[in-house]
Amino acid sequence: MAVLDTMPIFSYIWKKLAGIHLTIVLCLLLAADLSLGYVCLNRNEILFAPLNDVGLIAWINTYGRCNLKSTAWLLALLVLLTLFCINTFVCTTDRVARLIRHRKKYPRLRLLFRLAPHLMHYALILILTGYLSSYTFARVLDSRTLVPGSSLRLPGTEARIQFQSFSPDYYKGSRMPAFDQHVIRPRARLLLIDGDHHRKAELSYNKPVIFKNYGIFLKDFAPKKKGGGMNSNERIDLTIRKDPGVFLYMLGMLLFTAGIALYLTDWMAPKNGKRRPDE
Amino acid sequence: MWLFLLPGLFANAALVFWRYSTAWPLMPMYLGPATLPLCLGLLITLNRRRADDIRARRFVLGLTLFLAVAAFLFPKDFYLPFLKSNTPTSHLFFLFKTLGQGCFLFSAAWAWAGLLSGKPQQFWFRWAVWGFAFWTLCMFSGMLWSYLGWGSPVVWDDAAITLIMATWFFYISLLHLHLTGTWTAQARAAYAASGAFVVVTLSFLPDLGPLRWPF
Repeated sequence: MAVLDTMPIFSYIWKKLAGIHLTIVLCLLLAADLSLGYVCLNRNEILFAPLNDVGLIAWINTYGRCNLKSTAWLLALLVLLTLFCINTFVCTTDRVARLIRHRKKYPRLRLLFRLAPHLMHYALILILTGYLSSYTFARVLDSRTLVPGSSLRLPGTEARIQFQSFSPDYYKGSRMPAFDQHVIRPRARLLLIDGDHHRKAELSYNKPVIFKNYGIFLKDFAPKKKGGGMNSNERIDLTIRKDPGVFLYMLGMLLFTAGIALYLTDWMAPKNGKRRPDE
Repeated sequence: MWLFLLPGLFANAALVFWRYSTAWPLMPMYLGPATLPLCLGLLITLNRRRADDIRARRFVLGLTLFLAVAAFLFPKDFYLPFLKSNTPTSHLFFLFKTLGQGCFLFSAAWAWAGLLSGKPQQFWFRWAVWGFAFWTLCMFSGMLWSYLGWGSPVVWDDAAITLIMATWFFYISLLHLHLTGTWTAQARAAYAASGAFVVVTLSFLPDLGPLRWPF
């Protein structure tokens, strides 16, 4: 901050970037842009689906550039989110610096509660940074199919995944006739082989397996029904991702939730024997 | 009022319970429009502290009736639930979304009542904060579900994700306006009252289906 005080032009820019009016304007622009995004996404879902597989840069250079009418909102969203992150960082850093300067005025717990909104702000930046790294640096192997007994090697390693067997849970109730005899929870048994080390794992929907920093996700499977009908051969389709952004956005979510919990605790707590007024 | 509200609430609760238990352990994705009137009805029944505020109560009741009729005439929950919704995160997503919507609409009702009385109280702010907390948890459980199920933070197959984020940004701006004391109390209350339109347009209407005349 002392550097900023000695250089008026930086100080001016810093103050402008920390402005609450900029926050409000950016929030409203983001809300409008995302609403427009709903219309574009609804009409051209197929344009956006590859974003998770090919990554942001490759997507912008192909789908993004060639369909600007439908994708401009996403490009605008990236610009707005960048500005929003800068605004959030400058604004909250300003206030945190002030709080730390005057920290002796507050008891420790009070200081912690006062830091709660700033924790949420930094957590949001962390989440957005995680998203960006996820869409920029994630390595994705989409739709790798395995049949029982077959295996595949994880790229850049000697580690292998072997599909051993498929033992799903079937729908047992009678409430949804369309699900009668159908798989309700697919369960694939995998053997994870890394040199001499062998480990068994169970893969299912919403239950990925993490192995050698790769996330292994079940994308599809067969058979869908007991007996299987025409499609009775067992197979699983996998999506394999090495995603450096996951840790960042999970940590961000955790910190944001902690920030909300702290803020609500402080807000709901009685002040001097009275409940805090609604203001 | 109770003569109509309580039977309506029971009927709505029975419908939601029946639809949910039919789909269990999967999540009935499009049951939201039928659950929101129930949430509002429960909030107005349980929130007796300010029950004297007749304008806000009328606003919420009118809105509840409108939402219930819309959900009845334009249902979308005839789709079968999908297998990837068989996880606690999907149920949390549904629960937090409904609670968030309810709190936001309550906040708008009290802001509206304050504007009409000419003395905007700050009671709306309490509900906006709770709404924001639930909405954030809804987004986070959605993110978690998206990661566990698809491996990525956003599933682009469902456009509604953008509207959830749009609503979140709208309320971020409202909370910042209030906490920093920017704008007058009247202007802030007007902004909060407009939240009803934003929530209904961005998070209720997209969940409606085509008209299905029930008779």
